[in-house]
Amino acid sequence: MIDRDEVVELVLCRIKESGAEYGDVRMVESRSQVIYGEDRRIARVQDSEDSGFGVRVLYRGAWGFASSSVLTAGEVRRVSDLAIAIAKGSNALVNDPVTLCPEPVHVDSVVTSARVDPFSVPLEEKTRLLLETMETLHKQAGIARSSAGLWARRDKKVFASTEGSKLQFDLLAVEGDFEATGVHDGRFASRSFNTPHLRTGYELITDAQFLKEAPRVAAQAVEKVKAPEVTAGRYDLLLDPEHLSLTIHESCGHPSELDRALGYEANYAGTSFLTPDKLGSFRYGSPHINLVADNTEPDTLAATGYDDDGVTCQRWDIIREGIFVGYCTNREVAPKIGHTRSRGSNRADSWGSVPMVRIANIGLEPGRSNVDDMIADIERGIYIEGHGSFSIDQRRYNFQFGGDAFWLIENGKRTHMLRDVIYHGITPEFWGKCDAVADASHRRRFGFITCGKGQPGQSGWMTHAAAHARFRNVSVIPGRAGA
Amino acid sequence: MTDPSIDTGNTGDAVNAEGLITREQFRRLADLVLKTSEGDQTFLSLHDVSGGTTRFANNQIVQNVNTHRVSLAVTVSFGRQQGTATATDFGEDAIREMVRRATDIARVSPEDPEYMKPLPPQEYVPLKTIQQDTAFAGPEKRIMYAAEAIHRCQAGGLTAAGIVASSVAAVGLAAKTGLFAYEPRTEAKFSVTAISGEASGWAANVHRSIDALGVPARTRVAIHKAKQAAGPREIPPGRYTVILEPSAIACLIAPMIWMMDAKSFYKRTSPYEGKLGRLIMDRRLTLSNQTRHPDLLGNGFNSEGLPAEDLVWIQDGVLKQLRYDRYTAQEHHVHPSPAFDAPYLLGTPLGQDLAATEAAGAEHLAYPSLDELIASTSRGILVTNFWYIREVNPTDMTLTGMTRDGVFLIEDGQITTPLVNFRWHESPFRAFSNVEAFTAPTDAVSNENWKMQLPAMKIADFNFSSVTRF
Repeated sequence: MIDRDEVVELVLCRIKESGAEYGDVRMVESRSQVIYGEDRRIARVQDSEDSGFGVRVLYRGAWGFASSSVLTAGEVRRVSDLAIAIAKGSNALVNDPVTLCPEPVHVDSVVTSARVDPFSVPLEEKTRLLLETMETLHKQAGIARSSAGLWARRDKKVFASTEGSKLQFDLLAVEGDFEATGVHDGRFASRSFNTPHLRTGYELITDAQFLKEAPRVAAQAVEKVKAPEVTAGRYDLLLDPEHLSLTIHESCGHPSELDRALGYEANYAGTSFLTPDKLGSFRYGSPHINLVADNTEPDTLAATGYDDDGVTCQRWDIIREGIFVGYCTNREVAPKIGHTRSRGSNRADSWGSVPMVRIANIGLEPGRSNVDDMIADIERGIYIEGHGSFSIDQRRYNFQFGGDAFWLIENGKRTHMLRDVIYHGITPEFWGKCDAVADASHRRRFGFITCGKGQPGQSGWMTHAAAHARFRNVSVIPGRAGA
Repeated sequence: MTDPSIDTGNTGDAVNAEGLITREQFRRLADLVLKTSEGDQTFLSLHDVSGGTTRFANNQIVQNVNTHRVSLAVTVSFGRQQGTATATDFGEDAIREMVRRATDIARVSPEDPEYMKPLPPQEYVPLKTIQQDTAFAGPEKRIMYAAEAIHRCQAGGLTAAGIVASSVAAVGLAAKTGLFAYEPRTEAKFSVTAISGEASGWAANVHRSIDALGVPARTRVAIHKAKQAAGPREIPPGRYTVILEPSAIACLIAPMIWMMDAKSFYKRTSPYEGKLGRLIMDRRLTLSNQTRHPDLLGNGFNSEGLPAEDLVWIQDGVLKQLRYDRYTAQEHHVHPSPAFDAPYLLGTPLGQDLAATEAAGAEHLAYPSLDELIASTSRGILVTNFWYIREVNPTDMTLTGMTRDGVFLIEDGQITTPLVNFRWHESPFRAFSNVEAFTAPTDAVSNENWKMQLPAMKIADFNFSSVTRF
């Protein structure tokens, strides 16, 4: 084993000697704890440690990357030389050499603010919480199955570049959830409760009050499975913040990734209908829509101080009053559309992965409406909470979303639950139907840690905030075979 | 097909060459862990993987990576209490620390009523899980194949995006019960999207052998599709006769396999409730797994150490077998069958049993080709692949997804027009009950699934629910 400083020095020295124009090294020590309960039992408790280093080299406009979990001097030399060799080999197949846009040198450290370190909380306390939560769920007649889980992760990371930046990170993230499944008349349906994934301490779990929420979740699971199926037609939709976080992620987040718009993901995750020629002029949604990327908001997943290019986290507009005005970028792709600085959205999911453009913390800015007034102004509509089925095409036009819970709104009043609600549309047409966004008192945040992109696949982390939003005259169908 | 002359014996040469942990090194590691642990039972699993991916887009390499990750997981149990710890640091002190962490968790964890002691020693039949060409490929060979795909697309006036990937792994399991398993495995992947303006074509393969990926042939397919797909026309959504190529069929088969778990079945939260022993798809279709198939990626053992086993899951359209974890299998007095490696879907002519068909071999039976399926269709839609498949209704397994990288109208037995992509909304139960004809099984790879051998199928009344903009 060699220490961090020795690794950094050894890697950067070899990169500089190779004649490469740029290089960096990331060393990451990750610790994660997963506690998962299912049907009144603790099925798994796992404490994982994952450490290693990744070396990125830019040689005559071509990238090379190599990484290893083996921390010996010999392996550090081998991996550094391999990254250099790969960059040199790639050079033969580069027709548009990479030129990184400039970024000031940063020397800094970033630490997540947490009241209670999740790894300091006794395991017995955590398993007891999950078992009691599941027991509470099963007290509700009609509940057949349950699950409950807690997750925590700490990443200690060092980033150092040949330009002189040296950054240290000690980042935490926490999440908890539970779910009840009701069975009725040959059908089954689940209702879930999720804390957001946030960069906080265990206080997130304590404040969520699982035991207080569990009876409601169980009762709604049973009500949901017994609820009438939605009738196909056009409805006004009132979407809650948790639900909107997924709609924003899929229909705004991914299309605003500049690498997708430039074709980098054409073979897998897809491209984007938000092509560079539309920047600054394309009407994405109604004037009520202001979608802002904010990687500076405390506690959010992408607010890490700096990204994996060593670029400072920032706040900027993606959609302003309905017009497409901004992309998520890194140092490689920003210059390709004439930008002189990266937006700092380059992130890798581990030491073993190369960073790429990821969705920022894109959120829907609050409006001025009150939720009760928004419902009162709906004659025939559906109120949707939480995440359900989701699917979208490879350019992010045609989407389809379900949800976790649905209520029929009739004549300005939220009435009974519905089941199997699916709405679908074309992204800019859908956002164009938004006629009201609730005020800041309704704003909530939800994080994602399983955003899939890249080959080999990586999981991106980001937070999407929103207040309730109303969409008029949206096509709804029942989600079942033959519908 | 794999060259049978290649030495695929598990000699560990390639493992040594990549600096992976050898069988003997793993045995010594296991001895240390098992000796260190105070648990009533201790189980450890090793995953030592070295590999890389060359990624290209816009006719150039945009990402070229190589990673070596060695990780060990240890589960310690006292009675029915258990805990698991993992680490990537293999120093002796780090391993002792990992065992201590697992022990500490186990001592305070609640008893698990479904706890299962690790398996006793098992007998494993060696499978050809490693191919030397892949094990020794390295970045040079990946770049070479990427260049081939790029140059072919460029020569056709198209833009290429895709990957060439290869990896070699050492996988090991050991337990206090005496269980010991070790297997080197290789895997190679190729996929390419050929782009012509707004149109695209796609092809892919996954194989143990990088040289068996068929890069030139697959690239030609992608180029042909992209050229055919130029200038798509929009037609209304609705129910159509479709011909789904094997990649699209994989997108319907994969969820069926995922949802076959027996625990959900017995707890009444499975779409298979009431369907065991009943007809769930066309009587001519039989789904099995064939771990020894030379073009599939069967492993010698699963994550708990159960030996590879070939089973028939759906026979002549009838659901015969669920995926039983060890606890549920014990509860229901059946043999555990948690894994589903190397899926193989064979269409058997009516009146002929599976054994006779297998004895003849699919290649000797008179299956129509994909072209013949098209020629037999008066009006229908040919689908290359699906994308972003998600469950819509867990009770009846309704799924949704998009068509991708080549959708074509068939009229009077010929492809006449490229079409704008559709969203679809369908249950595999329903789709596979409406099968009209099928080809012999062949390689089936899609972006979100693992390698299978599946036929292309002609299916009536498939539900396209909306169209998109391209």
